Amino acid sequence: MTTMRALHHLDDDECIARAQRGDVAAFSELVARYQDRIYRFLVRLTRSQDDALELTQETFLSAYQALARWKSEARFSTWLFRIARNQAFDWLRRSKRVEFLALEDEQDLGIADPAPTPEGALETVQRLRELDRALARLPTEHREILLLREIEEMSYDDIADVLDISLGTVKSRIARARAGLLEKMPR
Amino acid sequence: MTCPRHDALSAYADQAMKSAERVRFQQHLQSCPICQQQLEDLQALRQGLRALPSPALGFDLACRLEGRLQQPQRRHRPWPALWGVSDWMPTGLAAGVALISGIWLGGLLLGGSTAVAIPRASMVRVFDPVPPGGLCAAAELCRMSKGML
Repeated sequence: MTTMRALHHLDDDECIARAQRGDVAAFSELVARYQDRIYRFLVRLTRSQDDALELTQETFLSAYQALARWKSEARFSTWLFRIARNQAFDWLRRSKRVEFLALEDEQDLGIADPAPTPEGALETVQRLRELDRALARLPTEHREILLLREIEEMSYDDIADVLDISLGTVKSRIARARAGLLEKMPR
Repeated sequence: MTCPRHDALSAYADQAMKSAERVRFQQHLQSCPICQQQLEDLQALRQGLRALPSPALGFDLACRLEGRLQQPQRRHRPWPALWGVSDWMPTGLAAGVALISGIWLGGLLLGGSTAVAIPRASMVRVFDPVPPGGLCAAAELCRMSKGML
């Protein structure tokens, strides 16, 4: 971060209220709080750092434009993830692709090559690579729900809000996604 | 108790099971190595996913967006909002001009038609059916024409 975050002491609701009155600095504070979470989610969802960067920007711009419609009963982070996810799926539709990435384009997202390390560390890196590849092979709807649950650590209620599905569907879809991921992991 | 469905195991791992159900499942778990193994797999999966590298932007995105954050409500609008007073200005102006032009043109048309000489009703009588043996339906008009000639 290069700028001073003078408003870091305010909570999300206070920042939003200020931003709704036209305070750009208050919105910038919200961007600073959530940019890495949104970017991380989008990188793992789209499997492309460039696309994720573009979509992260679009997510915050859309949120800024829609700020007047934001209602305080919603959690800001959930709302933001919902916008990010919808941006990603719109982009997928626009690019007329069925999935975010063809398997041959697979890449490891930041898992370093194992340096000369003890056996255990090497094994861990190898295992993470396998997990990353297995995650990439999951259908998007399974991948996104696992990202929200396991990496973003969202509750079932929040996931239901982000994906606009029922709690029962959240529960069954998470279970299916986990089973699918385990199947794709080498034993 | 037979082994619960995978849904239930997954909900248990997330602590999203109702308490009575949870107690029943825990009792089953103590005596079921299959469910124990499945639960361990789910927990290992969670640990693995959380251990994946977390990509970060590495710069202040708000700074990059600053120029585009100055004009809220202006982006992505294919046409002006119908409720914006300022947005009504060009439309209103055009409608006003069109209305005034219409009235003016209409006025010209009506004014023009009054200016065109409408034959008086008496003169039209020359076209009336001529009575048997007569030469002119309106003798006075025929005479006038002769006189003028």
